[in-house]
Amino acid sequence: MKVVIVYTWARDGANAAVRADGTVDWRGAKMTAGEDDPAALAVAKRLAEDTGGTVVGLTIGDGDASWVLARGVGEAFSVTDVPPYADNAATARVIAAAVERIGAVDVVVMGDSKQDPGVAPAVAGHLGWTALAGLDSASAVDGRVAAVRRSATEQQTISAAPPLVLGVAAEADVDTKPGMKELLAARKRPLTTWPMGDLVDPGDDVRSTGTRKPDVVAATLFDGDPATSAAQLVAALRADGVL
Amino acid sequence: MSVESWVITTDEKQVGGMVAAARHLGGPVTAVVVGNRALVDAVAATGPDAVRWVSTAPDVPPEAYAAAVADLAAADLAVADLAAADLAVADLAAADLAVADLAAADLAVADLAAADPPRVLVCSTEPAARVLLGAVAARIGAAVVPGMLDLAASDGDVVVTRAALGGEVIETLVTGGPVATVFVGEDVESGAPDAVDVVEQAAIAADARIEGTEPVGSATGVADAARVVSFGRGVRAKADVALIRQLADVLGAELACSMPIADDLGWLEKERYVGRSGQHIAPRLYLAVGIGGAPQHLEGVRDAKVVAAVNNDPDARIFRSVDYGIVGDLYEVVPALIDALGR
Ligand SMILES: Cc1cc2nc3c(=O)[nH]c(=O)nc-3n(C[C@H](O)[C@H](O)[C@H](O)COP(=O)(O)OP(=O)(O)OC[C@H]3O[C@@H](n4cnc5c(N)ncnc54)[C@H](O)[C@@H]3O)c2cc1C
Ligand SMILES: Nc1ncnc2c1ncn2[C@@H]1O[C@H](COP(=O)(O)O)[C@@H](O)[C@H]1O
Repeated sequence: MKVVIVYTWARDGANAAVRADGTVDWRGAKMTAGEDDPAALAVAKRLAEDTGGTVVGLTIGDGDASWVLARGVGEAFSVTDVPPYADNAATARVIAAAVERIGAVDVVVMGDSKQDPGVAPAVAGHLGWTALAGLDSASAVDGRVAAVRRSATEQQTISAAPPLVLGVAAEADVDTKPGMKELLAARKRPLTTWPMGDLVDPGDDVRSTGTRKPDVVAATLFDGDPATSAAQLVAALRADGVL
Repeated sequence: MSVESWVITTDEKQVGGMVAAARHLGGPVTAVVVGNRALVDAVAATGPDAVRWVSTAPDVPPEAYAAAVADLAAADLAVADLAAADLAVADLAAADLAVADLAAADLAVADLAAADPPRVLVCSTEPAARVLLGAVAARIGAAVVPGMLDLAASDGDVVVTRAALGGEVIETLVTGGPVATVFVGEDVESGAPDAVDVVEQAAIAADARIEGTEPVGSATGVADAARVVSFGRGVRAKADVALIRQLADVLGAELACSMPIADDLGWLEKERYVGRSGQHIAPRLYLAVGIGGAPQHLEGVRDAKVVAAVNNDPDARIFRSVDYGIVGDLYEVVPALIDALGR
């Protein structure tokens, strides 16, 4: 199978600050791969291994190709000049166009992220392929993909025929930081970049008219001596009828 | 202008909340149900104006019907026309035509010049539902917006209120075109609605099948417990788990934990950790002791009625997401709680 691992290289929202007026200050946010991307990469490698196939990397925007090249992927593609879209379908249109340009792809594997849960489904929509999301792992059996989805209580195995888009949701942080040797090897690996304008026009983004802080009801905090705090909490819980 | 919407569902979760949000658009709300008859009945009870049902075979995942549902959107006929067209579709199905051809046939039968697809799509975060949404969105050229909390129509635009940046901010998005949204708001109970028409749709599945479903791990009482006491890395030694267990016993609660306690330390069974990759629970009381409040952990208790926390760091993230908090050393606070509960 020819497998494409699509990974994000974008500002990490976890390190962005929200100002008092509800606007977002991105200055402290460093670039990082998506939280689910290491798990997605593991699935992509497994599918290639099972079938004697290949994995190539794809990222868009300010994508840092070395992330995937330093993690054992032999070749990468990057679409440049892609702005960060609020619209997951716009992001997906660029990814789908790049997958088509790469050509002869059997499976696209990507992170099924909490922040952008519409990207993987929309990539499948644009490609017209079947998709499975929320996956933990996958392997290849007789030319088909056996994908595993787990909840707290049960595990389901779904068999599907390529071409497929697989959205992988990480269960934990499974990334292993590459060493110097891998980083050096990554520099020698082929990287093809395409300006977005050469591939696709994803259209206009949806318009944001601004952000604000959510109306959260502040927690009632008890911070006196332990005995007093304990008595206050127990009284509050009794009043709420949850004891 | 009337804004038509589709609520796309593959399970019962959040359907009431989704229909309520779609209602704010002021136009007709159609529930598109991909699943079995029991699901259709549950969805119909949340009060959509109409239900379109794609019946799934037991061993076929809902995702396999994504293209078929997208075809329905492309050939969006009036419900009455569909009922008539279905007869012809059934005949064509026997002739083994591709799904796309069936949709085209639908149009021909109804003799419609222009189809009128839904303007707004809504689904839950459920993976299968999102896959269906993505297929329909691509087909009708809709934007896809996650984190939807509410919808409104204004001067021909659709206004989406959504949670962004992991819920740290609320953003307002405006679009003049079709938009597909992933709902993360509260579910709502609906009153008993009038009977709604259920129209079953002919659909052909893509090549995907469920090979097997197995239970994971052993059953614990955590999933259904009314009260849960949970602890994290604030607990320093395995021997100290006894203290937390004592608090749970006094409360008549099940014992749970954060992921590192089960995964890295092995102090409790894996079936007892809560969060994105663990248990998703809805107890009346969730008491978190020595837990930092990572978003991945809190995802598991989104539906808890009351959340309380004990943490010695007044700036701990968990205090931003709880109803009540005690700032203090758990080694002092937990014995005090056991004492207070005994009174
Ligand atoms: C893809 C992914 C999925 C994940 N899924 C999950 C998941 O499903 N569930 C989950 O739990 N985690 C999950 N995690 C991990 C999560 O990000 C956190 O690392 C984890 O929840 C932290 O556990 P903790 O709160 O026990 O530890 P910490 O973050 O170390 O918090 C310990 C807290 O205890 C407090 N404390 C210390 N001493 C005391 C004391 N004496 N008295 C009172 N308080 C004290 C500290 O102030 C601190 O706030 C996931 C991570 C990733 C990347
Ligand atoms: N800028 C991007 N470049 C490449 N892939 C992206 C981008 N944004 C989203 N994706 C894909 O969508 C998935 C989820 O995105 P994220 O929410 O950024 O983790 C990632 O695993 C990528 O496959």
